[in-house]
Amino acid sequence: MLRHDVVVVGAGLAGQRAALAAIEAGRDVAVVSKLHPLRSHSGAAQGGINAAVGAEDSVDTHIYDTVKGSDYLGDQDAIEFFCREAGPTVVEMEHFGTIFSRAPDGSLARRPFGGGRFPRTIYAADRTGLALLQGLWERLGSEKFTLYQEWDLTNVVAREGRVHGIIAFDRIKGEFAQIASSAVVLATGPAGRIYSHSTNAHSCTGDGIAAAYDAGAVLKDMEFVQFHPTALLESSILITEGARGEGGLLKNASGERFMFRYAPNVQELASRDVVSRAIVTEVNEGRGFNGPYGPYVHLELMHLGKEKVESRLQEICDYSRRFAGIDPVTQPIPVYPAQHYMMGGIGTNSRGETNLPGLFAAGEAACVSIHGANRLGGNSLLETLVFGKQSGIAAAAHAATAPAPEMRPTDLDEATAPYRRWSSRTDGEDPSTLRTEMQRTMERYAGIYRNEADLMEGIRRVRALQARFERVRVVDQSRVYNLNLTDALETGHMLELAETIVVGAYARTESRGAHSRTDFPKRDDARWMKHTVARRTPEGPNLSYTPVGFTRWEPTERVY
Amino acid sequence: MANDTISVPLDVYRFDPLHDAQPRYQRYTLDLAPHTPVLTALLKIRAEVDPTLRLRYSCRSAICGSCSMQINSKSRLACETHVGPEVELHGRVVVEPMRNQPVVRDLVVDQAPFWKQYDRMEPHLKLDPAKPMPEGRPNPMTEAQVERFHDTPRCIACAACFSACPAVEADPEFPGPMALAKLYRFVVDPRDNGTQDRLVRIQTEGLWLCLRCHLCTDSCPKNVRPAERIRDLKEMAIRVQGATERGSRHAVGFKDNIRSTGTLNELKLARQTSGFAGFVGQLGQGIRIWRKKPEITKRPHPVQGAEELEKIYEALDKPGDRR
Repeated sequence: MLRHDVVVVGAGLAGQRAALAAIEAGRDVAVVSKLHPLRSHSGAAQGGINAAVGAEDSVDTHIYDTVKGSDYLGDQDAIEFFCREAGPTVVEMEHFGTIFSRAPDGSLARRPFGGGRFPRTIYAADRTGLALLQGLWERLGSEKFTLYQEWDLTNVVAREGRVHGIIAFDRIKGEFAQIASSAVVLATGPAGRIYSHSTNAHSCTGDGIAAAYDAGAVLKDMEFVQFHPTALLESSILITEGARGEGGLLKNASGERFMFRYAPNVQELASRDVVSRAIVTEVNEGRGFNGPYGPYVHLELMHLGKEKVESRLQEICDYSRRFAGIDPVTQPIPVYPAQHYMMGGIGTNSRGETNLPGLFAAGEAACVSIHGANRLGGNSLLETLVFGKQSGIAAAAHAATAPAPEMRPTDLDEATAPYRRWSSRTDGEDPSTLRTEMQRTMERYAGIYRNEADLMEGIRRVRALQARFERVRVVDQSRVYNLNLTDALETGHMLELAETIVVGAYARTESRGAHSRTDFPKRDDARWMKHTVARRTPEGPNLSYTPVGFTRWEPTERVY
Repeated sequence: MANDTISVPLDVYRFDPLHDAQPRYQRYTLDLAPHTPVLTALLKIRAEVDPTLRLRYSCRSAICGSCSMQINSKSRLACETHVGPEVELHGRVVVEPMRNQPVVRDLVVDQAPFWKQYDRMEPHLKLDPAKPMPEGRPNPMTEAQVERFHDTPRCIACAACFSACPAVEADPEFPGPMALAKLYRFVVDPRDNGTQDRLVRIQTEGLWLCLRCHLCTDSCPKNVRPAERIRDLKEMAIRVQGATERGSRHAVGFKDNIRSTGTLNELKLARQTSGFAGFVGQLGQGIRIWRKKPEITKRPHPVQGAEELEKIYEALDKPGDRR
């Protein structure tokens, strides 16, 4: 049986940083990923990474902006730690080899981002995620560790209240395999593909979050789902907030800049939940465009000039030209909000520890929580690196003292018995059909604006889909690279997580950050200044609540 | 973004090396809007027609590099190749796996040969222990220094160039365009302390096997222009080490020939490239060529206006950016 001191699942920025930290602590580390590490979705991040390094800026301002952006649901102690780590983290990535864009004086260039009082988003053109991913992979690549590539995580094995390892599906061999380990770090990213319109990659199916939930870890704040205001129409490809940071304007069908109605002070640079709701409101009140691919508004960059658009927003030019046939130098870009980020995830503290000894999580799969009810642009890349490192350090320390894992060969048989049944059925449900229906359900009943009746219907529909999934059938009988099987595995994971989103959203009778209830339009600090915690039971998620960590900042009304 | 659909015939390569004697092409015909990406068409086939079709994909926005394949015989990303123009040009969309990497199943290839070449380039910063990184702050880097990377940081490792490259096909020792563009990225990095070693090493490890066909640049979805960076590496290697290899001697000899007379002296060039012993070794081949083309042994006359060439070379020798 395979065995490692520390197993890191997911090889995006959080997973790679965790692996590096555990290797530096002297542990034998395995990295398990469904993609080659350089193909991770971290590489799709465009705009930048926040660090208050400007002379006019301060760590305290970054902390305050993040607390306010979170609509006071972020844990202030965790946010303070996070923002203090920002400067050293960016410097470290530069030393690893990341190629950042530079200011004329040779320092790291910075641009303004939504919800930030000063320009503090450090960037590499509009491919910051790719630049960081390359830099970190180059650094990690010179270390010794074992890479299990194109392995899909299916289970975290936990017994007697601790972790013994993981089970995964090796796509190339077409076999399930187990790796014994007393310390597992989940850095598997989000489950954005729960929604029909998402900026996320196809691989973002929440495998790690679902495996943790199954193993007894708690999920936190799952109802908080961020919709990015500017996704390219039809394909939902992300158009970075950096486009507005560089001076891009949002206009409705009458050619009117409309953000003054919703965020009179900063307009286009309000935080994402505010801008997304503004766009949907414009459309709902008849001031948007309508086309064969649905409603949209315009994002204009033309006034910035060809040179600025083509140098600072090089990838955006390519995306618009190749995927929408639009040249942003001369034409407005058609955009509409799409699912973009999950503030919720596996509940952890600042060291990446979950409630299950030996299980750690970091990056978008985790919820510390620093983003609270709404994440600020530029904070997620930072989160992957800061808490990736912390979880790697904690996992390495745990592995050094924990009793040896007790993974048994029967664990593999037990865990994979349902998957074998999927393939032996002669009749049953098609995983792709179930996935599409789930995506439409979540889009319709748990989208940007929510209400009690919709969410109740959403719960009913998701549970009906879960029941149908019990009879899922894998048609493809061959082994090598069986995507029909991985489709089913992913759909099962997402259906489980979709339920935690709708149930959490139904219970939370207030509006806070990205969670907007039309029947409860106000934030309700007296009743709801608390984190939702979901535990898995056979009857569905069992919800409880934990307090928000406070230090210095009293909640006030959030105005941009 | 028209809503009208066209009928799109897709001929998709299907192969299971474990069971099939040879690959076959399966025809799927779909009604699609012309701007539909090939990837979307293939995923539609998987979801609605045939869930057994295998391919790699993830981001669908040309940033993860997963979905490289041969589309109508060109190596490209399926997510950003639209069906309409392909049907217009070729009448159908032939979808095959990338070349120069063994097929695992259908459109999925084993990328080990590609990553092996990437690893050979030692793709990480080499530091001088005597010169540590500035403590607590980033290395300064001017905009001009950032410019020197050209577009190499845009590389998404999709391997389209590796698939398109005839030198990779001919010689497994050739690192391939992506690996060399990656090497270039480290050679020009002001933080890297291995520039000299890297250039000297690559001279004997495949740099001169490039055929200068530019198919890599042509196939690159991110405009990295590997062919131009390979040219830069060759120039830098000669500057660092002189013309010590057959490839570099050939390049320098070629330039000398043209510069002095405006035309090639084949005998002289062969001597310059291979040295005296190598020249003697090639005599047999030389005689065969001489029988068909006796003029090669004649000393060529300088071309008219050869003195203008000197001015061109002087201008070219001036340092500066040449894309």
